[in-house]
Amino acid sequence: MLSAQERAHVAQVWDLIAGHEAHFGAELLLRLFTVYPSTKTYFPHLGACQDQEHLLSHGQRMLAAVGVAVQHLDNLRAALSPLADLHGQVLRVDPSNFPLLIQCFHVVLASHLQDEFTVEMQAAWDKFLTGVAVVLTEKYR
Amino acid sequence: TPEEKALVIGLWAKVNVKEYGGEALGRLLVVYPWTQRFFEHFGDLSSASAIMNNPKVKAHGEKVFTSFGDGLKHLEDLKGAFAELSELHCDKLHVDPENFRLLGNVLVCVLARHFGKEFSPEAQAAYQKVVAGVANALAHKYH
Repeated sequence: MLSAQERAHVAQVWDLIAGHEAHFGAELLLRLFTVYPSTKTYFPHLGACQDQEHLLSHGQRMLAAVGVAVQHLDNLRAALSPLADLHGQVLRVDPSNFPLLIQCFHVVLASHLQDEFTVEMQAAWDKFLTGVAVVLTEKYR
Repeated sequence: TPEEKALVIGLWAKVNVKEYGGEALGRLLVVYPWTQRFFEHFGDLSSASAIMNNPKVKAHGEKVFTSFGDGLKHLEDLKGAFAELSELHCDKLHVDPENFRLLGNVLVCVLARHFGKEFSPEAQAAYQKVVAGVANALAHKYH
C-alpha cells in the first residue's frame, strides 16, 4: 500500500514524535475533544474531565500503538489484530470518528513541526493513518 | 460565539493570503490526488514539487483564500455570501461538495503549520466550525 518513499516519510514523521508520545498524544486528545465534542462520548471518564495526567497516560498509550504500526508497515493486520478486536468488540467507535482523529493528528504535527512538516510527509502520514483506521474497523462485522 | 469570531478574524488578519492559499490548494492536490480531476488544465501536476510550484495552483489558491477571507466578513450569513459561488461550483464546475470539506481541513492544517503553538485547540475548533459552515454554504445551492 505504501511505496518505499512513503514509508520513508512515515518513518521521518515518527522520528520526530518518538520520545514525545505522551505529549503528542495528550494534545491530540485535547484537540479531538475541543474540536469534536461528540467524540467525548467514547471516553466516559476522560471526556468529562480532561486532567493532564490522564490525557498524558491515555495519549501515551494511543501513540505507542501508532509506533507499533509504524514498525509493522508490512503487516498492519497482524500487528494491530488485538486492537482491531478491541475496537470491534468492546470500544465500537463509529468509523466516522477516525477521520476526525486523523485531522487532529495532522494539526498537532503541523503546529509542532511547522516548516519540517512537508507536503510529502503529510501525504504519507495521511495514507498511513487511514490504513490503520481501516484495519481497526475491519472486524466490526 | 463572539470569542470564536474574534479568534478567527484575529488570526486571519495575519494570514498571507497569496502564500497560504497556494500552499493549501497544493497540499490538497498532493495529499488527496483524486482532487486533481478538477485541475487537469493547470499543466504540470506530475509530482509534489511540480504541484507546489505550479503558478496556476498558486494563483487559484490565492483566489480561493481571498474568497474565504471575504466570507469571514459575513459569518452571520455564509449561505447568502456564497450563494453565487455555490451555483458556479454546481452548475459550471461540477465539484462534489465533499471536496470543500477536504480543502477546509487542509486550510486548517496550513494555518496550524504557520501559527504553531498560537493555533490552540480553541482556534482550531473555531476554524473547523467556519470551514464546515463555508463548505455547507458552497453546497447549499446544489440541485
